[in-house]
Amino acid sequence: MKKNSSTTYLLVALILLIFSFLINVSLGSVSISIPEIVSGMFSGNWTKSSHEQIILNYRLPKAILAILAGVGLSISGLQMQTFFRNPLAGPFVLGISSGSGLGVAILILASSALGLGMGSGINPWATVIAGTLGAGLVLVIVSLVAWRIKDSMTLLIVGLMFGSAVSAVISVLSYFSGAEALKIFTVWSMGSLGGLVWEQVSVLTFIILLGIIPMVLSIKSYNAMLLGESYARSMGINPTRLRWLMILSTGILAGSITAFCGPIAFIGIAVPHLARMVWKSVDHRILFPASAVLGAILLLICDAIGQIPGSAQTLPINAVTSLIGAPIVISLVLKKNFSKEF
Amino acid sequence: MKNPSIIGRNLTLGYQKGKLLKEVVESLDFELYAGELTCLLGPNGVGKSTLIKAILGQLPPWNGELLIDQKEVSTLSISELAKTLAVVLTDPVFPGNMTVGQLVALGRVVHTDWTGRLGKDDKIAVKNALSLTKIGYLENERLSEISDGQRQKAMIARALAQDSGILILDEPTAHLDLVNRYEIMHLLREISHKENKAVLVVTHDLEIAIETADQFWILNCGIPLISGIPEELVISGKINHLLPGEKFHFDVDKGRIKKKSEKDNWKIIGDPVYRYWVKKALEKAEVNLQESQIQVNQSPFSVEFEGKSFATLRDFISFLIKK
Repeated sequence: MKKNSSTTYLLVALILLIFSFLINVSLGSVSISIPEIVSGMFSGNWTKSSHEQIILNYRLPKAILAILAGVGLSISGLQMQTFFRNPLAGPFVLGISSGSGLGVAILILASSALGLGMGSGINPWATVIAGTLGAGLVLVIVSLVAWRIKDSMTLLIVGLMFGSAVSAVISVLSYFSGAEALKIFTVWSMGSLGGLVWEQVSVLTFIILLGIIPMVLSIKSYNAMLLGESYARSMGINPTRLRWLMILSTGILAGSITAFCGPIAFIGIAVPHLARMVWKSVDHRILFPASAVLGAILLLICDAIGQIPGSAQTLPINAVTSLIGAPIVISLVLKKNFSKEF
Repeated sequence: MKNPSIIGRNLTLGYQKGKLLKEVVESLDFELYAGELTCLLGPNGVGKSTLIKAILGQLPPWNGELLIDQKEVSTLSISELAKTLAVVLTDPVFPGNMTVGQLVALGRVVHTDWTGRLGKDDKIAVKNALSLTKIGYLENERLSEISDGQRQKAMIARALAQDSGILILDEPTAHLDLVNRYEIMHLLREISHKENKAVLVVTHDLEIAIETADQFWILNCGIPLISGIPEELVISGKINHLLPGEKFHFDVDKGRIKKKSEKDNWKIIGDPVYRYWVKKALEKAEVNLQESQIQVNQSPFSVEFEGKSFATLRDFISFLIKK
């Protein structure tokens, strides 16, 4: 694909992003028209004060959170797939989401077991901090292992094993905990974009921007990694340095998103493939912005579907992304020249 | 006398697995020169890849010196090494959606800024590499849609675009058809001479290598590395170090490998070319040596033997086998 048409595609995707953002904000239990949202946001003319409340305090933070999570997860997935040269790698292959889950599990399950009785009114900051600590812990341990091993395939396997082991610990904790706490944890593990306030959204924005920096610094290295580690090294790329930047970037991105929103499946695996298919390119200078925008669009759409427009009920975001993501991954695997296109 | 691009002195290499030390090659001495095509030959498992690894700075020598452009390899950084040395490896991983132009542009990675954007010099280097390898017409083709031979040329173009004084290729002609093998080896020879690069090729194609190489390095178990002009190694018989077994030897007359048991007792008369190929066919079919004379006629082809005439070699051979 020529450079100009890639940029055109990116512009089209950006316009789509704005549209899906507006649609996402407009849909929900109460439908608010897009013109009203636009005039309300730019001139403060709301037809009802309740609409102002809903948009500003509930739907806007949620939509921004969807964009942040979509961007972060897709970029993590792309980095993992290229680094490990594995089409099925995703942001969580190093066990980061399991680590986050462990932190939250210990918070919810253990505190209920100890009779602290957090009940349903659990402080959102508490889960965020617990999730961050859990993800950070796993990240540190994986890094210690990464220090010792040279082969990136071994790192991938160690990461997967780590995820399983941590999940097993969570299972043990769940087994011994009460029904109430178990329900809270299960709901957390289904992921949620709602329920966060502006304060948390701005903190996450800052963290995501921080996590993108290592990726931006290694765009060239990821392009070289397309030929494998040996070639990359022969072209002057230090694979060890790239590995640390990759662990840092994906750790910050995937770890913080899981801590704030719970685990969100499939976006990280499916979106980079979608970007490759749509843009027909392997150049990371195109794939990174493309995946970021596509990820944001997809998560906004998933969230809008999860709202079940017109009803007060919502579906957990993780279920919706999996329902949409699974068919995408299956169709990719069934596609004949999938491995060639990767 | 110009300085060698790569010098190995008393070089010993090996691997360490836990406490187990495994020495692979011992006390190698060699010099690689710019403007020459050097072929490294030797049987599988003798340490050719190990030597390449050491030259790429991925395996520290146990003993001895390994100098690239007068500097010890271990003192060179990854990017310094990338500027002096480019490779074509045997790794078969290719992203199918990448175009030939993008692949060749990757050769510029070490020269570009952090975004990898190609500057004016980079674009010129890519263009030169494409035209040297004569694949300019493939620039916008995807790697999954071109032939193995074209892909190998694209890999060579990528290495050329890196603009290094030394090129190292690990079995670049494996899996290729005969024409492509000749083409690629002649291309490498042309590159080494025209661009004054030191080109080192690991290969198993002895006959093509003899025709194209300026210098041979022969590596085999239990002997020091033998280097020299291929023709000289043929004359001195040193080339037979490649064939240490009892079964084969290098036929100096024909410039090819021959079974040792081949004898010259056949009584065949006729055109020398015809005689040669008829004898080969008989030897391959393992028919017993005949006392009587065999006459080979040209146009139309026929073989006369003990008063009988045969129109094809197949008829003749089956007659001899039945006899």
